[in-house]
Amino acid sequence: MNRRRLVALCTVTVTVILALLISSQTARISAQSTGTQSTAWHTGDEPDKTPPPYNPYPPGILPADLNSEIARVLREVDNIEAEALAQLRALPPPILTGNPPTFQNTGQRLNVLIGKALNFDKNMSPFQNRACGFCHMPYAGFSGPIPSVNLTMIAYPGSFQFRAGKRTAQRYTYAPNFPVFNFNIQQELFFGGNFWDSRATGYMLGSPDEEQAQHPPVDTQEHALPDTACIAFRLETAVYKSFFEEFWGDVLDIKFPANTEEICETPGGAKIFGTSATPIKLSPEDRARANDVYDHWGQSLDQYEASPDVSAFSSKFDMFLAGDTTLSADEMAGFKLFNGKGNCNSCHVDGRSTAPTPPPPEGEAPNGEDTGATASVKPIFSCFGSANEGLPLNPRDAFYYQNRPDFFGFTPNPFGFGYRDLGLGTFLRSGFGAAPSPNDTWTQFAPTSDGQFQVSSARDVALTPAQCPTTEAPGPYFQKEFFHNGYIKSLKQLVHFYNTRDTSFAKPVTSGHCPPGTIERVTCWPMPEVRNNLDTTTGMLGLTDTEENQIVAFLMTLSDGFSRPYPDKNTFTGVCMTGGTAATQGNSTLIPTPPLPPCASAICGVAPLPTKPIP
Amino acid sequence: MKKVLLTVSIMVVFIGSLLAQESPTTPRATRVQISQGPEIALAGGYLTVIRWTVNNPGGGPVHYGVVHYGTDPKDLSQTAKNPIRLNPSHSSTVFRVHLYDLPPKTTYYYKVESLDANGKSDGVTSPVNKFTTQ
Repeated sequence: MNRRRLVALCTVTVTVILALLISSQTARISAQSTGTQSTAWHTGDEPDKTPPPYNPYPPGILPADLNSEIARVLREVDNIEAEALAQLRALPPPILTGNPPTFQNTGQRLNVLIGKALNFDKNMSPFQNRACGFCHMPYAGFSGPIPSVNLTMIAYPGSFQFRAGKRTAQRYTYAPNFPVFNFNIQQELFFGGNFWDSRATGYMLGSPDEEQAQHPPVDTQEHALPDTACIAFRLETAVYKSFFEEFWGDVLDIKFPANTEEICETPGGAKIFGTSATPIKLSPEDRARANDVYDHWGQSLDQYEASPDVSAFSSKFDMFLAGDTTLSADEMAGFKLFNGKGNCNSCHVDGRSTAPTPPPPEGEAPNGEDTGATASVKPIFSCFGSANEGLPLNPRDAFYYQNRPDFFGFTPNPFGFGYRDLGLGTFLRSGFGAAPSPNDTWTQFAPTSDGQFQVSSARDVALTPAQCPTTEAPGPYFQKEFFHNGYIKSLKQLVHFYNTRDTSFAKPVTSGHCPPGTIERVTCWPMPEVRNNLDTTTGMLGLTDTEENQIVAFLMTLSDGFSRPYPDKNTFTGVCMTGGTAATQGNSTLIPTPPLPPCASAICGVAPLPTKPIP
Repeated sequence: MKKVLLTVSIMVVFIGSLLAQESPTTPRATRVQISQGPEIALAGGYLTVIRWTVNNPGGGPVHYGVVHYGTDPKDLSQTAKNPIRLNPSHSSTVFRVHLYDLPPKTTYYYKVESLDANGKSDGVTSPVNKFTTQ
């Protein structure tokens, strides 16, 4: 065999092997995890049928280990649910006394544990395979628990696999501390709410966190229940039903029609429901009871999230503020940079400095250095506002590919890559993919809010499982995802983005198309998805590489679990990642953004129009 | 039971309001002025950044840097603006405004100012400057 024939034969062999590998991965992903979807799905005369999975994705969008990772997280969810039940059973019953009546002694803990049981109950979904906790696990700071999802599709697969949302799973921690969404007339600014786009306002229950908990159960790409009354229906058979009734009263006494199970096991958005949000036919009295139950669902979940089980204030920084520990030299340098040159605390308010010392000649502090006293011993590290940080469009976001109907006739994103995420702006317009705004006087501010997303608390941004003690390569590390679209894969990249976004690294390209000689997320930042209202508080900070690392070191002091163990942090049973560098973390999974069609008129053409056209 | 629910709701709202910490206002400098710039911080192919520093204009957390520009020094009719959050613990504020997709080898004239979120001027405006794109 001559040399040329040998090379040709090798090429063909390698190609065939690669093709087989890719097709086997696709086949594995395509197989619906029937083990977790044993509930029969009924349609007409066909008694039992498991619907085929929804897989509109090109090869490589869904991670190869998705099914095994889903199964892993479901096992972990079950373990925590069992723990919650044991805690409920071990709790001494409270005594209802006083006027107004109060559950004395253990009443609050009872509500917290009811919230925990609700949070990890996977029966609260059509296929009984998704709990709230599935996307929000303690060891990830109650954010996304699957490293490969965080690295690729960024949004988590819902109960009807593989529908997926459009954004990253936001951390629960300290979400209850956000105020009711409001417009501050004096400052001309919105504050508060929950979710990346602040659409859980708290306008009805007085708590955005309680209302936040009411969205995912009926989100078509998350739990996907078709009717809020399905929560009350599933609670009828919950193991912890007696505790729920003990605390909230006899509210589960609802006469459900015979076809309720059939309805509740059909995912929301199914064509069969039309536009109805209440396909379960209930009497007005029973509908009111079901609504009360749904409010109690949100209230108990909020109490769990507000409790030290979730929002613990047990970080190294908390101990430092209390004077019980010292920060390392790098951590302290990072803290000063966070407040000074990095300007991070302009938005991630750290509770410092009611009276900073002015710079010379009036005072002693160099320009930009905070020497003020601590104003809050429990800073949340958020201004509760919103900002457009100019993230590039992330073509790995699973949402862009869900542009054809699934088995149930539902199309999550008819606009495909014509979708643009305008965040708060779209919510204020009651637009596609958000929620109806409860206040039409806010609508006028949509153009100055386009592209803005909530300033999350910086607390627990670095929280990871004990066995993977960092978010940063080379690790061993736990792969997280940052910002609303998961474009950033490490804290080093996050700080570097804030530091250099508006420098010569800014390139007129989309992700995956950085010029030769540059490295995306290191020396190349693709264009912002939305240019309007771009915040320039950061973007050109002049930090050195060492200073970036020091800010990362400081961010790690904000992880709960330092002064006392963080509950359920040890529940991770997956595998840590190793190797590489934090600067280029995840770069091997970058894919080229396809040519983008114009922004769909259903998003960018809704009045009041954006201040400048959004391409 | 209704009273229990009411009590729980009131407590949640009360606790929430106690914990809320919206951005504080920033003290205004005695004489607000541009202490540095304006200057071209980045003259990129598609992105031009104009930067200047003001000793704190004070007031609400969000202000806007505004650049009025054009190719005729007597007609600065084009406008670009970007929001920025003041830092109450900093004694000065750096404004940066983005201008996109300017044609190459073209001379532009510009002046800068800053506004609060209500559109009220911070009272500082630069003289007209110029720069030429690459």
